[in-house]
Amino acid sequence: MSPVIIASLQDSSSRPVAELSNDWKDEGMSRVFSTMAMSLDGFIAGPQDDAQNPAGIGGMRLMDWLGSGGDGDEGDGVEAFRPTDPSSRMVFEEAQSTGAVITGRRTGDFAGYWGGDHHGGVPIFVPTHQPPDHNPYERVHYVTDGIEACVEQAKAAAGERDVMLHGAYTIQEALKAGVLDRIEIQLRPVLLGQGRPLFDGLPPEHIELELVRVLKAPGVLHLRYEVQHA
Amino acid sequence: MTSPRTPVIRLDMTMSLDGFVVGPQDCVDAPMGIGGFRLFNWLDRRFDPGPDGQVFAEVNATRAVIAGRRTYEHAGRWQGDHHDGVPIFVLTHHVDEDDVPPGTVRYVTDVRECAARARAAAGSADVVAMGAGAAQALIRAGELDEMELHVVPVLLGRGRRLFDHLPADNIELELTRRLTARDVDPAHQVLHLRYRVQRTEARATDGDR
Repeated sequence: MSPVIIASLQDSSSRPVAELSNDWKDEGMSRVFSTMAMSLDGFIAGPQDDAQNPAGIGGMRLMDWLGSGGDGDEGDGVEAFRPTDPSSRMVFEEAQSTGAVITGRRTGDFAGYWGGDHHGGVPIFVPTHQPPDHNPYERVHYVTDGIEACVEQAKAAAGERDVMLHGAYTIQEALKAGVLDRIEIQLRPVLLGQGRPLFDGLPPEHIELELVRVLKAPGVLHLRYEVQHA
Repeated sequence: MTSPRTPVIRLDMTMSLDGFVVGPQDCVDAPMGIGGFRLFNWLDRRFDPGPDGQVFAEVNATRAVIAGRRTYEHAGRWQGDHHDGVPIFVLTHHVDEDDVPPGTVRYVTDVRECAARARAAAGSADVVAMGAGAAQALIRAGELDEMELHVVPVLLGRGRRLFDHLPADNIELELTRRLTARDVDPAHQVLHLRYRVQRTEARATDGDR
């Protein structure tokens, strides 16, 4: 019979343990994955999220799997968010090794486009119907002809590296268009009760997934799903 | 380590990754809604050795059931016996006097009373709770101790959400167990996650006996 994994989570021994055998990486092929922290009840932000409070009420609870953001020592930017736990750090570094970022307009606006550089100076693509009049960031590209075109441009820019996609609405659009290859979720052990759901407004046709990796770290379960393209 | 334990009320639900427990338009004639039976593929393996068989056996080892009214009706009232004749407490807003509950079923309109009676009936074993409505009522009342969620790798898109109608208060959980069987085809895959609900206020006066 199949070997079975029974993992006790009582100790938070934090060596990365890759479970579920699948080798997800096709060499030389850029793949698009979404990555979001989500509460067990499916929210990626609390209620009343806006520019002043991007995570919504109580939503910052979802973000604390990341590093503290630094100890007042400005200047290392995203590096200050690198988690200390090995599994979480691996997931973080996978995102940091992507060759392009796609972000929703809302997420991008809220994050101030990370000062124009999400990581490593890779280009940032923003699907939107209405680009702003003024774009101060040379690496930020607004794409107005749909999510497919946006993904195509991001893949071309990423070369052999993967593309990271961020933002609930953008993830939904990519799923609907069939251009999302993987879904990464940092599942947090909390019920927010209300907020902005990650999965919303999807069509009633089922989207089949395959769970290909589970990594446990203190306070977070890193789940990786492959989208089964029909 | 060996002190008598208070019965745990443990929600046991299968849900899609997007949080649905049935597809849209669920009714007595289509209890899982449109396409919702996809969620139960993993139960084909419920008698297999390994995690899928283990979690199924754990439900059948409980000694009392709490169910929401919709779940109870859509399940054909289990013909009065969910498993082994254990008492079934159906949480309902309204009890019709002409409705004589079958078998071991009792109707209860108050969630705290329902929880207390189920705990008392379970003796030294646990209580299984099922149904989204019952889950939400138990969570709101602070009566849910644990959740065993069987997370199926599919996005249903539409349906009835497990977590809904909850207040915007963060409820902290602790992941205490995860089980996954290896080498299962995606159509039968499932991730079993067990959480303990962290209580902020004590359930001091609700009568555990």
